[in-house]
Amino acid sequence: MKKIISLCDVGICYRKKRGIFGEPFWALKKVSFDLFQGETLGVIGRNGAGKSTLMRIMSGIVKPDCGHFTNYGYRVSLLSLQLGFISYLTGRENAILGGMLMGLRRKEIESKIPAIHAFSELGDFFDKPINTYSSGMSARLGFSVAFQVDPDVLLIDEVLGVGDEEFRAKSTHVMQERIRNDNKTVVFISHDARLIEKLCDRVVWIENGESKMEGKPEQVVQEYHRYLHSNSQK
Amino acid sequence: MLAYLELILYKTYADLKAETERTYLGFLWWIFEPILFMSVFYFVFGVLQKQPVPNFVSFLLVGLVTWEWFKACVSHGSSVIYGQYGLMQHIHLPKILFPIILILTDSFKFAFVFSLLLIYLWTSGFSINIAYLSLPVVLFTELLFTMAITFWVAAIVPFVPDLRFVIDNLLTAVFMISGVFFSAAQMTEGVQFYFYLNPMANLIEDYRKILLHGEFPDWSSLMIINAVALLGILTAMRVIRRFEYIYPKITP
Repeated sequence: MKKIISLCDVGICYRKKRGIFGEPFWALKKVSFDLFQGETLGVIGRNGAGKSTLMRIMSGIVKPDCGHFTNYGYRVSLLSLQLGFISYLTGRENAILGGMLMGLRRKEIESKIPAIHAFSELGDFFDKPINTYSSGMSARLGFSVAFQVDPDVLLIDEVLGVGDEEFRAKSTHVMQERIRNDNKTVVFISHDARLIEKLCDRVVWIENGESKMEGKPEQVVQEYHRYLHSNSQK
Repeated sequence: MLAYLELILYKTYADLKAETERTYLGFLWWIFEPILFMSVFYFVFGVLQKQPVPNFVSFLLVGLVTWEWFKACVSHGSSVIYGQYGLMQHIHLPKILFPIILILTDSFKFAFVFSLLLIYLWTSGFSINIAYLSLPVVLFTELLFTMAITFWVAAIVPFVPDLRFVIDNLLTAVFMISGVFFSAAQMTEGVQFYFYLNPMANLIEDYRKILLHGEFPDWSSLMIINAVALLGILTAMRVIRRFEYIYPKITP
């Protein structure tokens, strides 16, 4: 299998206080794993374990302060909803802007506009400023744009679907379809063990900034739960 | 590269459009706001005080309009990278794009006001003359100088947010000594030397030479400003590049 990303003993240091001064704080200390073409990798771990920081390293937003991180030339992006939206602009304009911010060329995102329009079910509102939208409508537009911007590797932090009950079901469904697609490489953070077992081919468990275990979803999730249980008894 | 160029242009368009949509009068504010601002100065210096400089209103307007372009960019520049923390957490973008978009946006608005200024000058007896040929050079020099300062400000403020307050007051101070409402001729020679160390003072005087007196600008000082500005731009770009992956780590 083709390697897409590899991390070797990766660590990253932030500052506790505002700015660059203040005590160093290692959000990640020693994380190692590889990501392969077409797989869905789950990431589990407690709050503050460093999962979201890990996503930022993988998408190239920040660089690790120690260890080795390699991206073998793929476009990796976080699933970001309503990225860069400006409230005085129309849905269409925000879709174009959002798409371009996420790395698409203007032509590419413009060719996807009909699909975004249709999927968002916004109808005539698509050409109205988004400050006239309800929060559910903004969420639908945000999801439709993010879903159409289809990077080589998709990083998902918890959120699969958004909006009202009906749209949530629809968006969750299409997202799960995409994740399960054999050609799609996805990294998926979730606290939902059942979802992880259902969607992922492999799971990495991050504990306190370190990759503690890696393997088949059932095994890792089981170990993780056993660990959480024994910790809460202490 | 081309993708970034497209993004810069579209984001500039989007920011400008968002600004016009925010008010009832829309883009007319790009014209009204400077007019309001300039009327205040006109009232204080043109009506309340007797001025030794002939054609004082035109003299004042040339200084104000060209100064405001520089000021708008620099003062907005202090929050341009600093203010994008949220966006930087979601995508990787070269941070230099933010100040570039900002300068384009403010320059577009300046173009409006500057055209109005020219129309005002033409209707009040100052005609187009041969020295207008050098106008693009002076405009370009001011653009480079503005870019240099704006890039530096944008690069540093995220590390020391407190600087924002200093920068605004510093701008006011430089405004006072840039000869917007007085001319170098009113000063003693010893003071003039220091006066001309300020690039904005030179540029404002060059604009007046061209627009009001039909004279060519002072080429040697323009060359020096260009060289300094270019150096400033290159070093600031290096600094921003150096901290490319640090900026997203600085919590505002």
